[in-house]
Amino acid sequence: MLNEVIRTTLVEFGDRVRGFAPNVVAMLVVLLVGTLAAGAVRFALAFLLPRLGVDRFAERSGLGDVARRAGLTRQPSRTISLAAAWVVLAVFFLLAVAALDVRVAVDLVSRAFAWLPHLLVAVALLLAGGLVAGFARRSVLIGAVNAGLPSARLLSSGAHAALFVLFAAMALEEVGLGQRVVLTAFAISFGGVVLALALAFGLAGKEIARESLERLLRRRGPEDEDGLKHL
Amino acid sequence: MSGVLLDPRVAERVSELGTAELVVGIPSFNNAPTIGHVVRAVAAGLTKHFPGRRAVIVNSDGGSGDGTAEVVAAADFGAPEAILVSHPVDPVYKLVTPYHGMPGKGSALRTIFAIAERLGAHACAVVDSDLRSITPQWIELLLGPQVEHGFDYVAPLYLRHKYDGTITNSIVYPLTRSLYGRDVRQPIGGEFGFSGRLASHYLRRPVWETEVARFGIDIWMTTTAVADGFRVCQSFLGAKIHDPKDPGADLAAMLVQVVSAVFDLMETYHERWATVQGAEAVPLFGFPHGVGLEPVSVNVTRMLGIFAQGVRDLGDPWERALAPGTLSDVAALAAADDRGFCFPDPLWVRVVHDFALAYRRGVLPREQLLRSLVPLYLGRTASFVLATAESRAEEVEAAIQALADEFVRQKADLCDRWR
Repeated sequence: MLNEVIRTTLVEFGDRVRGFAPNVVAMLVVLLVGTLAAGAVRFALAFLLPRLGVDRFAERSGLGDVARRAGLTRQPSRTISLAAAWVVLAVFFLLAVAALDVRVAVDLVSRAFAWLPHLLVAVALLLAGGLVAGFARRSVLIGAVNAGLPSARLLSSGAHAALFVLFAAMALEEVGLGQRVVLTAFAISFGGVVLALALAFGLAGKEIARESLERLLRRRGPEDEDGLKHL
Repeated sequence: MSGVLLDPRVAERVSELGTAELVVGIPSFNNAPTIGHVVRAVAAGLTKHFPGRRAVIVNSDGGSGDGTAEVVAAADFGAPEAILVSHPVDPVYKLVTPYHGMPGKGSALRTIFAIAERLGAHACAVVDSDLRSITPQWIELLLGPQVEHGFDYVAPLYLRHKYDGTITNSIVYPLTRSLYGRDVRQPIGGEFGFSGRLASHYLRRPVWETEVARFGIDIWMTTTAVADGFRVCQSFLGAKIHDPKDPGADLAAMLVQVVSAVFDLMETYHERWATVQGAEAVPLFGFPHGVGLEPVSVNVTRMLGIFAQGVRDLGDPWERALAPGTLSDVAALAAADDRGFCFPDPLWVRVVHDFALAYRRGVLPREQLLRSLVPLYLGRTASFVLATAESRAEEVEAAIQALADEFVRQKADLCDRWR
């Protein structure tokens, strides 16, 4: 009787292993193909992108700056090729998990694929935020220096931080990470910062505020103008 | 034909007129207080100095709301006795036309070129509509070189204070002279003369949908005439007094417009200027004379403050724009005290050349790049003011010529790096 039970159990286990083995083999094959495909994509992009002027474009547009600030010190073309290879590998990994045909794994894969567009939009938002914030920082800095404002760096850093935080909040909302918490935290902290700056400027820097407003509002008298004609 | 769309009534009037030997254009926008005087001076100049020639005055207006066009239409200059001539004269005709295309002086001039071409004009001139110092002799000086001597382009030479035209004197003049090898002292004057042949050439250049239509037309016309091999000369017009511009006009915007026009032209005409060596004078008409130097208030401390702040805060854009050696030399200048401050000619030339190369490579958005030039320009201008505080006009001119020669000396290096 005991022998019969053990034998039946082993047979059933053997049947299950035999039934499941093709899935495991399929998973391994998909992973192998994925690794090869990721390597091929990385190699091809690392070869093509520099020749298409991607590095030059990244420097001109400020994307290179954004990447360096995020700690990505490689050339943009190498970063892109590496990221693309990881994306390919991740997709094949999900396919490999799906090949196991386990209910949990299938659910995981479908949820991951449903979430992927949001992730891509969030990444795009972060990149755009980095670009816009970087552009604004430099514009404010140059404009403030040309206007002779003593706090040019502070102003430009403030503009940069405000814009980047705004885009980061949008990105987090897109991927659904603590939507309400993020939005509320952003609204409170942004409002708080603006209020604090206004109070600080009005109280501690009231002389500067008065002079700035006077400069802005009053008509320039002859004593303010240079006799220079630049053209 | 040029393809320029003329207002139907204007096109009909041009057809009625048939031909004209001389055309004088007056671009305008809300210049009712001054344009009447300009039109009368032009008409007097045409009648007095070119009495036997059929002439047309064209007012190309940008949609003025202050009655500018009505003032031109009402201007009466038919009586020759009013301008003290005793011989019979041909009447001077008037055309008032709106211009089409992007708003700006360039579009206004395009319409004038098109009308000149349709009329088959031999010689043309353009004068600004806000002039207060224009005299009939200006018309002789702007049209005479084409009519009498076969020149194609007449650049104006004005009597100016030593501190006037600092962008022209420190960037536009010396750079243009070194690049194209012709010594046109004021390449961005508002008045100029040109032949009918050159007007047709201008019309066919593919620039009328670009920034040239809005601003930068003056330097574009001068550079095109020089670089494309037309016969160029200068005419001394005396002092130029015009309505004050907007006092709040932004220096940075002005610098961006002018310098971007010059740098764009460097790109267009690279093949031409790369082979030019040295610089030669161009013929001068008129009778140059000196000017008394009235004291002019210049806030050197403010300029040097902005320069020092630029050195302190603009490391990022300047690192992208300037060569490492140039950047370190510029940074070293900030250590000097205000009275001893000196921005040497060779360093300034390197700065301008570095910015031209950075503009070409697109290391930064172009407007940001050129706006970051402002503190350097103010530093250079402060240095110039300090160095020439006690100088007479001739000494100041000699200093400007020395800078222009330095641009020529460093041109070979620019050519090497441009490739």
